[in-house]
Amino acid sequence: MIVRTSQLRKDYGSTVALRNVDLQVPSGSVYGLVGPNGAGKTTLLGVLAGLRRPTSGTVEIDAEWTKVAVLPDTPQFDAWLTGREVVDLARSLTDASVPASRVDEVLEQAGLADAARRTVGGYSRGMLQRLGVASTVVGRPTLLMLDEPSSALDPAGRREVLDLVARLRGEATVIFSSHILGDVQEVCDTVGILRAGELLFQGPINRLLVGSAVPTYRLRMRPPSEAAVSALRDAPWVRSIERVSGEEVRIFVESVEAAEKHLAAALAGTDVRIVSFGPEAATLEQVFLELTS
Amino acid sequence: MNLWRLEWLRLVRTKRWIALVGVYVFFGLLGPLTARYLAEILERFGGGVEVTFPPPVPADGMIQYISNVSQMGLLVAVVVAAGSLGFDAKPEMGVFLRTRVSEVWDILVPRLIVTFLAIAASFVLGALAAWYETVVLIGSLPVGGTLAGIGYGLLYLALVVAVVAAAASRAKSVLSTVLITILVLLVMPIIGVVEAVGEWLPSHLVGALADIPAGAGIGDFVPAAGVTVVFVGLSLWLAVRWSAAREL
Repeated sequence: MIVRTSQLRKDYGSTVALRNVDLQVPSGSVYGLVGPNGAGKTTLLGVLAGLRRPTSGTVEIDAEWTKVAVLPDTPQFDAWLTGREVVDLARSLTDASVPASRVDEVLEQAGLADAARRTVGGYSRGMLQRLGVASTVVGRPTLLMLDEPSSALDPAGRREVLDLVARLRGEATVIFSSHILGDVQEVCDTVGILRAGELLFQGPINRLLVGSAVPTYRLRMRPPSEAAVSALRDAPWVRSIERVSGEEVRIFVESVEAAEKHLAAALAGTDVRIVSFGPEAATLEQVFLELTS
Repeated sequence: MNLWRLEWLRLVRTKRWIALVGVYVFFGLLGPLTARYLAEILERFGGGVEVTFPPPVPADGMIQYISNVSQMGLLVAVVVAAGSLGFDAKPEMGVFLRTRVSEVWDILVPRLIVTFLAIAASFVLGALAAWYETVVLIGSLPVGGTLAGIGYGLLYLALVVAVVAAAASRAKSVLSTVLITILVLLVMPIIGVVEAVGEWLPSHLVGALADIPAGAGIGDFVPAAGVTVVFVGLSLWLAVRWSAAREL
């Protein structure tokens, strides 16, 4: 584990921002820290980065502090500096032994090579975000903490930032906080779900998606389909059925095993014309809502 | 690029140096001119009223310079210093710097020194301009006393910068940093109304450049200089302590 916290608690007066959080971030992972607004994501990253002091508990980071980089949600820089100067300042402060050519390299990766000599006062929001990412990676960090790096961007800007994060896989451990679950599902391999300062779940994202949500099947039929719906509704291994459209239903089952064993036979016993059926992969959004509701 | 060059660029690219040098040199040139021609100016704009003044003496040139820069010049200096030392006023900028240095002192030192040097250079340039013009228009000033007065003025400006640093480490914006600093600087002359206390206060140094050429002794300002040195140290200690304890 590159990051490990134990019973981490942070109070702001009478408000508890973090409640006994035991965070474990595997080395080399892209860890998605998800939660609704006010869940404590920024506070947790602030404590990990040393910008806030915990009320109690411990933080262990298995990386040199010069190799830990932090990107706030809305990075800001002195407007009269050029993009290249910002990244070069980040390089010299983080690790002056990193060659200056690295500055141009990360600006190129961030798609800012053409704007590198312009002052950042004229940069768009997306460009500032990408400049922030370039500034965090220029010192070749082993641990990056990105706080909502894509939340306020337009679709094109969001795509660029997600691609930048995806490229970091294998080069560094990334902690990526977001309330946009699709982004987390796309780039993260490990996830932690925070709600009201409590860590409700953490682990590989695949385990979360398979293990936590109610198993669901999606079935398409030619109308009339009432006979099939009626037969399934009476089956003991079916929890409930939700009609998606005239031709399609979602079947919530007790277990995948039970559905695999009985679903085909139950449908065969009716005269309904079946177009297709199969298990429906749970989305992070479904799991998240299930855990946090 | 490093934190020293960053401060230099802040002065040059934001034109803050022009504001500093401009205000001090302007009043440096205006002060002796006003002292020399005050009677004529008032006569011209006084609607025929004859105003009689004693003939100007060389010290009047510096008195005019100090009376102007101790208000307008000081305000500009405080605003410029607050803009540089309030690096946490925008937390995202504070995060950029704080997560890349081992101690907050690393951020503060270049800002303190470059800002002080810029303010000090402007004050000295203004004083030299006032000195030159006083010699040309009114008469010569004592070299030793005038240099000592400039030195005392610089010591007071060091305190101003240190107080700004301490205020910035607590304040949430540049404006509140400016207001806190001005409040602290205003309290001193108010307390200084009590004569026994006044000569020990840093604010006593403000008038040294005017008072010494006018006849005050160089040694008269030593107690205030001693207290000022202590206050500078205290303010810097508070600035570092409060900045290090600050959460973003």
